[in-house]
Amino acid sequence: MGYEHILVAVEAPVATITLNRPRVLNALNPELMREVNEALRTLESDESVRACVLTGGPKVFAAGADIADMAERTAAEQLARDQVGRWAGISAFTKPLIAAVNGYALGGGCELALMCDMIVAGDNARFGQPEINLGIIPGAGGTQRWPRTAGKFAAMEAMLSGAPITARRAMALGLVNKVVPSEMSIKVAQRLARQLSEKPPLALRFAKEAVLKAFETPMSEGLAAERRSFYFLFSTEDQKEGMRAFMEKRKGVFRGR
Amino acid sequence: MATEVEQHVKVENEGGVGWIRLNRPEKMNAIGALTRKQLAEAIKQAERDDSVRVVVLTGSGRAFSSGADVTEMSNDGGMHTPEEVGNILRDEYMPMLVRLRTMPKPVIAAMNGPAVGIGASYALACDIRVATPEAYLMEAFVNIGLAPDGGVSWLLPRLAGTGVAYEMFFSGKPLAAADAHRLGVINRLVPAERLEEEVRDLANQLAAQPPQAMAAAKRAVNNALNSTYEEAMEFESYLQEAQAGSQEFVDGVQAFLARRAKK
Repeated sequence: MGYEHILVAVEAPVATITLNRPRVLNALNPELMREVNEALRTLESDESVRACVLTGGPKVFAAGADIADMAERTAAEQLARDQVGRWAGISAFTKPLIAAVNGYALGGGCELALMCDMIVAGDNARFGQPEINLGIIPGAGGTQRWPRTAGKFAAMEAMLSGAPITARRAMALGLVNKVVPSEMSIKVAQRLARQLSEKPPLALRFAKEAVLKAFETPMSEGLAAERRSFYFLFSTEDQKEGMRAFMEKRKGVFRGR
Repeated sequence: MATEVEQHVKVENEGGVGWIRLNRPEKMNAIGALTRKQLAEAIKQAERDDSVRVVVLTGSGRAFSSGADVTEMSNDGGMHTPEEVGNILRDEYMPMLVRLRTMPKPVIAAMNGPAVGIGASYALACDIRVATPEAYLMEAFVNIGLAPDGGVSWLLPRLAGTGVAYEMFFSGKPLAAADAHRLGVINRLVPAERLEEEVRDLANQLAAQPPQAMAAAKRAVNNALNSTYEEAMEFESYLQEAQAGSQEFVDGVQAFLARRAKK
């Protein structure tokens, strides 16, 4: 599985996907996104992998989509290509996905980070949706995910002004989990992924699913779904092991069954 | 006939030390439009140039800087509008003052004389201050009906405490170098004739220190000033991890062990 635009490193139980188009600041073209989706599909079925880190490397996460590639396209062409619709593979990934963001995460790059489950930001990170300056709006979830995390007013400011925000501001808005020195962000994200890898995989999966459901459904429906998953988990070996380990004052060893 | 552009700011790189010298002695190094442009450029270059390990900001003549060039504001094309005043602060002063405070290398103010108004903002934005006894800091804004600017509302309470800061902001009276030294706002007092020599020694000394370690210290302090104790310590711990993996640390420990073995 050779990739052209990304690097995939599996150090079980953690996989790291690195966007790798440094010459264009990791601009997200359709091929790169296809590869990210494909990599995630592969990692989804790889049982040795329990969590994944997505990063753009030490300098930049992704400075948006490939503008040169879009500039002269018509609406019909864009619709037919449905570039952003193909990002669905990312939300279909059921294991923890942690973004390590250094430098610019702009436009599609920012939206890609917001699709992850957690974000570790380098202190040089900048998040923004500059689409407005090009006569368009975010097209990969920006207008929906920003208000759900940062609230309406910060979201409006970001969407309408196009001005990026600093890592510190993103932290204050609850848009990221942690701000660390930029040279450490990938390591910190990988460490976090490793910690999550020791948790029971099925419980992780249902926890993730339940939290994501909170953005999609009315409360009553979300609560019902949560309860179903809660009861279901009592049918797993990991639940038996987890509770036994707790009572025996030892650390549980989970196998995803 | 093309007239030569006035040099309001002189820049010299002297063995790893970048000297940025305000160069309008006849105007007590007042800061006007051209000064701002040249100063911004000098500060930017000092940050970018890796051969510059330590930056010194100083004035020529009797003053460090008398502050904004008020004559320019009133003669040259009329007074600035209020909005222009705000824009100059936000678009011109702010980026270069922030750059001074955050560039990953030590910045020393050599206060050869008074630092007034925005001039004081520059002196206070530096990491370390060395001054002659004739120098003083003065927040003169109130004397012409203005409020403090250039970041001093943030810097001065932290450096001198709110009481001293308020007295300066309300009274517009100078804080003499000796008093500022006693308060810890000025690191060292040095007779005028020895100022440059002393600053040069200090700058050379710092230029020989491991640059990445100094940059990390500056990053840690700037981060800490905006954080809780716990947040600051966590940030420190990550910086230290990065530093512990650096060649500077390997070299530093080796040199330390070699020195101890000699004893």
